[in-house]
Amino acid sequence: MSITQILFWVLTAMAIGSSLMMITRKNPVYSVLWLIMTFFAISGHYLLMNAQFLFIVNLIVYTGAIMVLFLYVLMLIDLRHDTEPRKNKWLKFAGAVAGGCLLLVIVAALKDSDIKSNVVQTGEGDIGLIANLGKALFNEYVVPFEISSILFLSAMVGAVVIGKKE
Amino acid sequence: MNALLISAVMGVLMMFSSFMLKSKSAVRNVALAGMFLILVANILDTYGWHLFNIPTEGMMHFDRFSLFFNSIAFACTFIFFLLSARDMEKVGINYAEYFSLIFFILCGIVLVASFQSLLILFLGIEIISIPLYILTGSDKRNLKSNEASLKYFLLGSFSTGIMLMGITLLYGHAGSFDITVLIKAGEKPSSLAIAGLLMLLFAMAFKVSAAPFHFWTPDVYDGAPTVFTSFMATIVKAAAFIGFMRLFSTAFYSLHDQWQMVIAIITALTLLIGNITAVFQQSIKRMLAYSSISQAGFMMLALFALNGTATEGLFLYVAAYSLATIGVFAVLIKMKDYTFEGFNGFARHHPFLAAVNTVFLLSLAGIPLTAGFLAKFYMLKAAVEAGGFLWLVIFAVLMAAVSVYYYFRVIQAMYFKEGDAPVSMEVSRPFQWVLGVLAFLIILLGVFPNALLYWFYF
Repeated sequence: MSITQILFWVLTAMAIGSSLMMITRKNPVYSVLWLIMTFFAISGHYLLMNAQFLFIVNLIVYTGAIMVLFLYVLMLIDLRHDTEPRKNKWLKFAGAVAGGCLLLVIVAALKDSDIKSNVVQTGEGDIGLIANLGKALFNEYVVPFEISSILFLSAMVGAVVIGKKE
Repeated sequence: MNALLISAVMGVLMMFSSFMLKSKSAVRNVALAGMFLILVANILDTYGWHLFNIPTEGMMHFDRFSLFFNSIAFACTFIFFLLSARDMEKVGINYAEYFSLIFFILCGIVLVASFQSLLILFLGIEIISIPLYILTGSDKRNLKSNEASLKYFLLGSFSTGIMLMGITLLYGHAGSFDITVLIKAGEKPSSLAIAGLLMLLFAMAFKVSAAPFHFWTPDVYDGAPTVFTSFMATIVKAAAFIGFMRLFSTAFYSLHDQWQMVIAIITALTLLIGNITAVFQQSIKRMLAYSSISQAGFMMLALFALNGTATEGLFLYVAAYSLATIGVFAVLIKMKDYTFEGFNGFARHHPFLAAVNTVFLLSLAGIPLTAGFLAKFYMLKAAVEAGGFLWLVIFAVLMAAVSVYYYFRVIQAMYFKEGDAPVSMEVSRPFQWVLGVLAFLIILLGVFPNALLYWFYF
């Protein structure tokens, strides 16, 4: 087992473990902290694929900005009381069955799919470097890139419409 | 491409007009002019006059299918603006911004109708959804509107997540977002591709509110301000259907046998739940929400059949359903009381409005000589031609018979019951003219469907 493989398994275990911890915590603040952990592990995966730009963006945007936002929101709402309503037992059961079915389908799909052996380039790939990413983004993918500006613009207009005092 | 760029620019222009123009009628006129410009630009595009030439690297393809649908959608939006733009003033103070959001939604509609890459499909669906979440919640003082917006946002984001997961699995199978590559890869289906296909199917079924993914529809359509419900239930739903059709008739066509049964079950469930639940509604707005589910069931028949008749029928259905529903909603907005009793004696006080409303309702129910009848006829014909699933066709006819009950309850209230049918606002003369034109169009399409379908080929 090479170093890359060891790192991969460690990071994977970390990602799955911390995401499980995140959804099982009762206190939302702990959930958010475990979510940060998950994002760190996933950023590590990007680094293994030599996608440095994605790594740093994921770290700055998700673990940095969005998580801080989450924590602020949690601080603003009152969490001292046990506000979470008790859920219906049958609803939980139905949810577990539905989720289990989805898991089964995905496991079945992934089990006998012939993923080509070199789908992931570990270490030596250079598509994730900023220069190459920029070239791909502004040549091949320039139309979707520009179109996504409409999406952000509409989200901004929406924020103003919702937030402005009447 | 013309329409996409011009509607994006119009969206920005409306943002500027919110502080440059003082009067609301000026804002409305700018929006109407812009809408007309988009419609004309799209028709020019159809006949080879491209105002812009942008290489899309095969990510979008503006063929007759997409351009023709765009024209229908823009024409319906234009009529919607003519009828209901005045009523948007009452929703809140951000009058120009509502128009701006609607123009952005039109951008998304163009993308969804003409995508050639799953990336563009995703962007289009998102550009349609996000402004809609906001329009749903734009009546900020109304608790029901807030609830509807939040519910729509949460469920919509969840379904988008499922869609992304499906796209990821398909990418793992084919190694590309491109539809032409997906078609080739579909000849050797793997379970990865089937799982991805099913996830995309569920996400799209959510967007068109097909059962069992319809639970958000009644609450959201009921909670949203009625003007925006009118837009959401017609033009946006039609666009989602065109995207659905485009995706499944190209990328997944070679897997048709794999998913035909699933679509047949979804269609039957949608028809059953939509129609049966609509019977028990007391509020007309909620009844129309369920009726939009049941009409979606009929449009699903086109996806099930996937042949020439189905494509023509879907266009006719989209036009007939959108025009009639916009008309019914435009009349409903003027009413004070949204229950069936609110329409009691409407014919005596407003004979003209009652008459055109009857035409719209007859079309929705699928009575001959209206566009709705021929639209339903095309759908059933396509399903029969596809062969093998006669039970589905018989079931659809039975459900269409059930739908007559709740549409005729409105007509009965208008004509055969005593009451004073309180109207909350003045009904202007131009409004009546537009409604009259709308009713005329519906009857015209019901007699000569080729008045519309001709333009699909020539």
